[in-house]
Parts: sequence; structure tokens; C-alpha cells
Amino acid sequence: MTGEKTEFKWVGTRAIRPDGHDKVTGRAKFGSDFALPGMLQGRVLRSPHAHARIRSIDTSAAEALPGVKGVITSADFADQPAELAAAGEALVNYRDMVRNVMAREKVLYDGHAVAAVAATSAEIAEAALELISVDYEVLDHVIDVDLAMEPGAPILDEELEPAGMEASGPTNIAKRVDFDLGDVEEGFAKAEVVLERSYTTAAVHQGYIEPHAAVASVSEDGQAQIWCCTQGQFMVRAYTARLCGMETSQIRVTPSEIGGGFGGKTVVYLEPLATALSRKTGRPVKMIMSREEVFRASGPTSAGSMTYRIGATRNGVITAFEGTIRLEAGAFPGSPVQPACMCAVAPYDIKNVRLTGYDVVVNRPKVAAYRAPGAPISAFGAESIIDELAKELGFDPLQLRLKNAAKQGTKAAYGPTFRRIGYEETVEQAIASEHYSAPLGPNQGRGVASGFWFNIGGESAATVNINEDGTAVVVSGNPDIGGSRASLALMAAEELGIDYTKVRPIIGDTSSVGYNFLTGGSRVTFATGLAVVEAARDAVRQMCERAAKIWEVESDGVIWRDGHAVPASSNVGDFEPLSLADIAAQSPKTGGPICGHNAQNVQGAGPGFATHICDVEVDPETGRVTILRYTAVQDVGRAIHPSYVEGQIQGGAVQGIGWALNEEYIYNERGQLENPGFLDYRIPVASDLPMIETVVVEVPNDRHPYGVRGVGEVPIVPPMAAVANAIENATGVRMEHLPMSPPRLLAALDAARLPEAAE
Amino acid sequence: MARILLTDSLSKQFTGGVADFEVAAPSVRALIRELEERYPGLGAQVRDGFISVAIDGDIHQDAFLEELAENSEVAFLPAIRGG
Amino acid sequence: MQSVQFEAPGTVEQAVALLAGATGDARVLAGGTDLLVQLRSHMVDPALVVDIKHIEETRTLVRNADGSYTIGSAVAGAEAHEHDRFAAEWPGVMESWDLIGSTQIQGRASLGGNLCNASPAADSVPAMIAAGMTANIAGPGGRRTVPVEDIPVAPGRTSLANGEFVVSFNLPARPAGGGDAYLRLIPRTEMDIAVVGCGVALVLDAGGIVTSARVSLGAVAPTVLLVEDAARAIVGTRLDDDALAALDAACQAACSPINDKRGTIVYRTQVAGVLARRAARIAAERAGSR
Repeated sequence: MTGEKTEFKWVGTRAIRPDGHDKVTGRAKFGSDFALPGMLQGRVLRSPHAHARIRSIDTSAAEALPGVKGVITSADFADQPAELAAAGEALVNYRDMVRNVMAREKVLYDGHAVAAVAATSAEIAEAALELISVDYEVLDHVIDVDLAMEPGAPILDEELEPAGMEASGPTNIAKRVDFDLGDVEEGFAKAEVVLERSYTTAAVHQGYIEPHAAVASVSEDGQAQIWCCTQGQFMVRAYTARLCGMETSQIRVTPSEIGGGFGGKTVVYLEPLATALSRKTGRPVKMIMSREEVFRASGPTSAGSMTYRIGATRNGVITAFEGTIRLEAGAFPGSPVQPACMCAVAPYDIKNVRLTGYDVVVNRPKVAAYRAPGAPISAFGAESIIDELAKELGFDPLQLRLKNAAKQGTKAAYGPTFRRIGYEETVEQAIASEHYSAPLGPNQGRGVASGFWFNIGGESAATVNINEDGTAVVVSGNPDIGGSRASLALMAAEELGIDYTKVRPIIGDTSSVGYNFLTGGSRVTFATGLAVVEAARDAVRQMCERAAKIWEVESDGVIWRDGHAVPASSNVGDFEPLSLADIAAQSPKTGGPICGHNAQNVQGAGPGFATHICDVEVDPETGRVTILRYTAVQDVGRAIHPSYVEGQIQGGAVQGIGWALNEEYIYNERGQLENPGFLDYRIPVASDLPMIETVVVEVPNDRHPYGVRGVGEVPIVPPMAAVANAIENATGVRMEHLPMSPPRLLAALDAARLPEAAE
Repeated sequence: MARILLTDSLSKQFTGGVADFEVAAPSVRALIRELEERYPGLGAQVRDGFISVAIDGDIHQDAFLEELAENSEVAFLPAIRGG
Repeated sequence: MQSVQFEAPGTVEQAVALLAGATGDARVLAGGTDLLVQLRSHMVDPALVVDIKHIEETRTLVRNADGSYTIGSAVAGAEAHEHDRFAAEWPGVMESWDLIGSTQIQGRASLGGNLCNASPAADSVPAMIAAGMTANIAGPGGRRTVPVEDIPVAPGRTSLANGEFVVSFNLPARPAGGGDAYLRLIPRTEMDIAVVGCGVALVLDAGGIVTSARVSLGAVAPTVLLVEDAARAIVGTRLDDDALAALDAACQAACSPINDKRGTIVYRTQVAGVLARRAARIAAERAGSR
């Protein structure tokens, strides 16, 4: 099934992306580019309080405003029982979901939706919002994960019963999880060096540049159509149906071109509201979020607080690792604390590991998945403490990692034994890189870190339709956030044996293609790719059968070569090869349209590993950090489209660097967000960074016909520690709290210089 | 005999702390029935509770029909989704 | 947002008449890089917007016979680069203009707009003040000329009377032995509002001694500051370590910043001193190389 060919015609080439022209000319239709005749504009009224009980809402004045066609509140959504659903990384309770899209008894964060209006213009809708009066009973709030765990903290949900532990009263702790491998006490007893450290990371937003947008149109017969930017049109259909009390089959969701998701668009915000408003007003309703709303009301990832203990023998063997990780989930349970625990030391073969995780609610927006959810947070601490351990032991940090590297046969801390993986290769390539031995100047330092992500498979359905002229259309169901369309077309072209430009990949809506699990988990090129390859092979099989019919031979007498049906041997007969166009032209006579299908629940996603090298220069008088050079080494299985693979690695590294240096949510003492915009929420700008150098390692995943492993998430896992380790090497100062912004770094540098000044 | 590995949370909840044991089962479906018999609630949780299954290191989001080899290692872990 | 009356007069007199006759809030539009953002985010809700870019005086940058410059208030930073001598003679003013926003913003951003928006963190203002620039104002009462530092009076407020607007700026001729520099600190490399900005202009005599200086700090007080104590600390010196330390201390003492999402009091104050030292050194290097 795999590895028969090492030289491909299309797979591995840098073909022009099918969406490229539209995107650079502005022709591409994103979520807010969609319009329908008679469409109303919807706007959301949002809570100004971090925590308050809603005593009453009076919408009458808003409803009376000329131009306003409908107003909704939680009264327009049936309450939902507590029932778990998969939503991005975490499990979401429908009871929580209906409350997150529209507050019921309480508002739980600054920005929480309280009501929504549909009117004939945006100005009227906004004016109507001002006419809605909400009677709030403001309550004390808590936004820090450690404070929220303390007795006496303001409680968000009196009914919350924590899973995995006993609670003696109302609590903000939603869950406790434990992972235990071997015997950590024994492991520490064997250790000759033991370090203990604590770290914190700030909440950061996925930072997609396209805000949420949706248009919903519900007709009189109860059929709904939704156009929205999303990572999962089937997810939108399922959740909207559930929250609006409709049947799945009554809703058709068409995904638009998407301007970034990174996990943040694996849940619903506006779609149920727009649908409810459309149903109420009898007209299509468009809703978009402003950037401010995206920050105040859409899920970032968790802020985290962790404590680790690591033990090793002097010859560099890590004998024990123990830790507690506390992640805030925002207003409703569901932080990625489980994968955070599972990924923390996944690159290493450590016999004794114990990790405890807590999922804690706080008065912030409900967190959503963000690129390898949980892993970058726990890895920041783990890769930092491993770096300190290397110094303590006198080991080169990459050599220490290599010495303890997980490999085939290593038992992961979270249970299973690894099959063939490529972690060691990433470390070896990092060590061998020119970057690693390049000289450094004053105030400069180099840091390294590694990372891991599971990657997933999941349900995929694909069709390959052969057109009358011998070209092909590949229909699949995953919004393209990482170049999957190009990769699917490359694989289909490879299978069909035709030119890549003759293959058109499209993304179907929920009524046009079989069920597809959402885009995420680095799954599309792997899982949907597999379905596309199988569908293409199905089409090829059919075309061989048609050729056999044309030639009046047995179907096993025909094989496929270079895009043509040819006789399997001279015994079969002397026939001219038949191209797709030839076969398609005769298809009405030989059995009708030729459509290859495949639908399966793909398993066997190969995990991904990465090792990064970061050089920084620190201005000792201002604390400002410049990233001088950055190299990301990653095992990708096989790079179907190398430019896209490199782009995914670079993008993940850049997001990790932003997370390390300047990104954070800044709240005032009332729990209101002070920096809901890209001016003061500081993601890196293009001039901030050098070209991220990528080294692509290919250790093929034998569960995929082309050896693909997921690529998109692993690269965000190492950067925060790589930057922190580099800063430590440049300045001697260890930063344990993110972001390492200039004021914080300067204060740390000044504090470190104090004993010198006193001498 | 398949070797079964449970997370701490699962073992605490259903098996009184036993996290590593053996079960004879030719497929995951059969395994689930066995688990439910031995530790009531565990089979149901594994089947319906958003648990991923790693069979010999391969992580499956849905493993219901997967076959198990003579000495398969089966680890149950919290479902992974991604972002 | 109420509907806005938009006017684009061709003369100063017409503009003054429109602004003076406005019944509600009236705004002047030059490059629009602040005003448009404020309109779209509903921070301002004017009844009248007056586009001054059709008035020739606001759009020209000329070097006068005596070496001084007259800079139209609506000239864009990118356009200033087109002049063959301006950036070379006043590199500090030019580099401060070049730091407003980003490359795209500089295609529109003007000194007039940057000054009259009256942000304490405006990038071009410390350099303008250090260079000793004055503003030519037109209004119902006629014309007047004032030092640039007299225009911002509080965050978002200027000393301009109703109906007045800045038509152009006067930049003195570069003195022999003169040099200027502007530095600012932001966490990223572009786009951020200055956490601290410092403009220094000085004159060195043939022996390398500072004979005159002007030091201006931005983002460390409600308005951009002209720090006379800082200038006094370096006049008569060769900018040796002691002089620079005194400059640093004088700048720190002049700061009265706030703690906000862009910087802390401690940080801004400390960095103000650092930037002043560095800007003074650069200005002296530029002065010495003439």
C-alpha cells in the first residue's frame, strides 16, 4: 500500500495553489462577502460585566424602532440538558453551549452575548442595541486560574460538580485528570539531580484575520441555509440544529473561503443566532463580528499555571517527571488540560511520569481549540525545565534530548507504545544544522526545544468525478486552512495519471458531500487525502472496466498506466491506450457517468515531532528581544506540497513566538478586556521576524498511501520554550512567565543585576 | 490475550485503580463487552464517552470494528481532536 | 453615526469659513490615518469633515532660499522622501515621520494630523519640537505662528480655537554643526503606539562641544514634553559618560507617565533615559560628520 514509488510526478511538487489567484486579487469570497436579496443585518448586545446575574431584559423599545424586524434573547432558545458533544479539542456540554451563544441566568464574561437584533441596516441594528435595557446584578469576578481554585473565590456555577475528584462545596474546578506511568517516587529516589520549577502562560487568541461571519436564511417550510466561515460545516449543521430545535436534514451549511481558523472556528457563535433571527423575521440575516467582538467573545486558548519536578542521573538519564497543570477554561468547562498533560514530555522515554491536571472556570470567554490545544502550554514548562536540567548536568541541550528520546517501542506517558516515529531524526538534524554551530555575538543567545502532537484521522468522504473532457473534479468536505485543496489535487493527479491542472478540487456543502469531520487536528491531508486517493483509485478501477467493455475483454486484462487504460499484456490484445477523455466520451454507452467514491473513518494518524532552534538578541537596557534566526525541524511523513508544509511550519512557529514575546489579554480590575484589537494585542508583524528556516524530515507514516503525517499543529509546540531558553543563554536570566515582553524582561534583568551593583 | 492500559481517571472510576490487565478478545467490540462485564460501566464509557483507543500504538478515534491480534496492546485515552 | 457633511475647499479662507461656521463637531481631514479609524470605530461623530488636501499650501514641501523648510500640514511622509535634501538635512524629523504606523500609513500620514490628533505618543512630535519647528495657523482671526510644543494641551485636545487649523510648518535651516535624531521604543518593529519616544537636536562646535540642544520626550506625560533640564545637562559638554548620565536622570525626572496596556510607569521612565542617551549620541555623530 505504501512506499512502492519514491519518485512521484505530482506529489512533492510546488504546484500553484487552486485558490491562489482569487485570494491575491480579492475575488475570493469569505464569510462576510456573501449577500442575499432582502437580507437584514444582525448585531449582538454584549455584557459589559465580567460576572453578573441577569434580573431582566426589556427589548420592547428596540423592537419598536423602525427598521428593526426581530430581537432575540435566551428565551428564543430552548434550554439544553447536560449532554456531552465533541467541540474542537474539548468536550462541550450542550447546556453550556446554548448559554455561551446567548446568556441565560448569568453573564459570565465581558462580551457575553445577551441579545441580538436584526434590522434593515447595520446602523439601525446598532441603535436598537442601545435601546435594549438589561437589569444586571453585578457579582464579584475572578479571571486568574490559581485564584479561581482558592477557597472563597467567586463561583461561576453553583451546580458545577467536578469530575475526577471530590469537592467539599461549590467550586470553579470542573475536572481533575491524572496520568501515571511507573513509580515517580522510585524514579526520584534514583535521581542524582532534582529540579522543581513553576511556570505560567497567558491566554492568547488564535489571531485569525477573518472575523466570524455568517448569513442564515430560513424559509417558510422550515428549511435553513447557512453560509459561514468555519472549520467544519457539518459541525455547524449539527450544533445549529440542536440549539435551534431543528432536524439536521433541514439545514444546509456552505463553508466560505476561510481567513484562518487555527482551531478557533471549530465551534459556533453567530450561526444559531442568525438562524433564530432569520426564522423569527422571515428574512435572511447576516451577522459579522467586529475585531473587538472576536477578542471579547470568541474563545482564545487557556491561560495556564504549572509546577514541574524533574529528576535525572548524572549521566543524563531522566528518571522521573512529575507535574501539576492548571488551565482555565473560560466561562464554561473544557480547557485542553488532558492533552496538555499527555503531551508535556511525550518526546521522551521516561519510565516514571505523573501528571495531574485541573480544568478551572473563570470569567473569561469560553476557550476554544488553538493549534495543538494544551501542548504548547505544558511544553513551555517542560522544555524549559529540561533546558535547566541540561545546564545542571553539563549536557548540550540537544544531546540530552537525544539521549532520552522516544522512539519506536517507547511507552508514552499517556499509555500506548509508539510505532515508527521520527523524533530522533529531528534532533539529529537540528544538531547537524549549520544554524546550530553558527557563531553568536554579544547579547545574543541560542535556545532549543522540542514538541509533539498526536494528529488525528476521522471521518472523511470524497468523490472524484470524471468530466466529459477527461478532466476531473475532486469533491471533499473540509474547509481549506492549510493548503489541503492543492494537496488533494496533487494526490488525485498522481493516482489518475493526469496533469495537476486538469484536476479541480472543491469543498462541498453539507448536502453535496458525505459527512466529513471538521478541519482540525492536522487531519485533512492525511485522512481526507486518504479518502481522495481511494476515490481516485475507485475511478481508475471503473475506467479500466469501461475500457475492458470497449475492447470487449475481461476486466482483469486492463491496467492503468500514465493516465491511460492499457492492455495488461500483449495476450489481451493489441489496443491503443485510452485516455480519461477517450473513456469519458464513451461513458454514456458503457454504463454512464464515472464517479469514484470513498467514505471511511480513517485511523492510524501518525504523531508528529519537531525540534526548533532560536537565536535572539536582547537589548540589555530596554528588555527588547529580536529574533535573529529560527530553524524548525519537523517530521512530516511526506510533504505532498512542500511549500504548504513549510508554510504550516513557519506559521506555527510565528504564532508560538508571538505567544512567547508579546501576546496576552489585559484586563482591568472590573474584569473587562482592555486590548481587544490588534493594536494592543500584539501578534508579530512581518518585519518582526526573520525567514523561518524549515528542515523537513520525512519518516513516512505507513498508514497512508503517500506516507503523510499531520503537519499543522506540531510547529506551535516548541517555540515558547525555544525563545525562553535563548533569552536565558543571552542574558543569564530565566523567564518563567509569559509573555516575555520588554517591561517584564527588563525588570528581570535589573533584578539579576542588583547583587552586582551592591558589590 | 490483549493487554489493556487505562488512564488513571478511568481506573480510579471503574476498576478500583487497576490500570494494566489482560483480556481475551478478538476485536474491540468484543473487548468492550468483556470490559463491561468485568467492570460495569467501563465498557459503556469506552464506547460512548469520547475515549480514543490506541491499538499497538496507532491512535483510533473510533475503533469499534478493529480486530485485535494475539498480543495487542490496547490503551484507552481521552479523545484527541485538535485545532 | 449621523450623516456627515463632507467639504473639500480649495482655499484656506474657505476652509476657515467652513470650520468656523460649523454648528456641530467639525474635523479636519488630511491623510485620514487617525480620523478614518476614529470614524469607523465610533470614537468621533462629527457633523462636518473638511478635507484640506485641495489647498496647495497644505500640500507642498519647499526648501527656502535661507535653507529653512516650509512643510504643508497635509504632506505625506512618503512624499517627503521625494525631496532631494530634506531627509538628509533633518534625518531625525524624517525618521520620526517614517515611524508613524507602517509603510502603508506613511503613504498618507501627515505632520499636521499627527500633531493635532494630540496623542501623547505621537511619533513625529518629539522630533518636531527638538528641531524647533513652528506651526502656521489660519483662523477667523487671521494667521498666527506658534511653536509646535504649544499646540497639544491634553490627550486629544489642542490649543487651536474654533475655526482654526494648521496650514503649514516652519522648520529652521539646519545650523552648521547641527544634528538630530529620533528614537522610540515599541515591543514590535512596526504598528505599535510608542511606549517612549525621544527626539534630540543639538549643535556641536568645531571642538565637539555641544553649544545648543533641544530634548523632547513623547509618551511619558499627557503631552509631548520639551525637557529643558535635559538640554542643560549636555550643553557645554562633549557628551561624555557623566553628561549622558545627567541627561538620563533629567529625562527620567521629567516623566510623569501612566501605567497602561502599553507600558508601565517604571518601564517608561527608565527607557526614556536610555533613549535620550542613544538619541543624543546619534545626533552628535550626525552633527560631527557634517
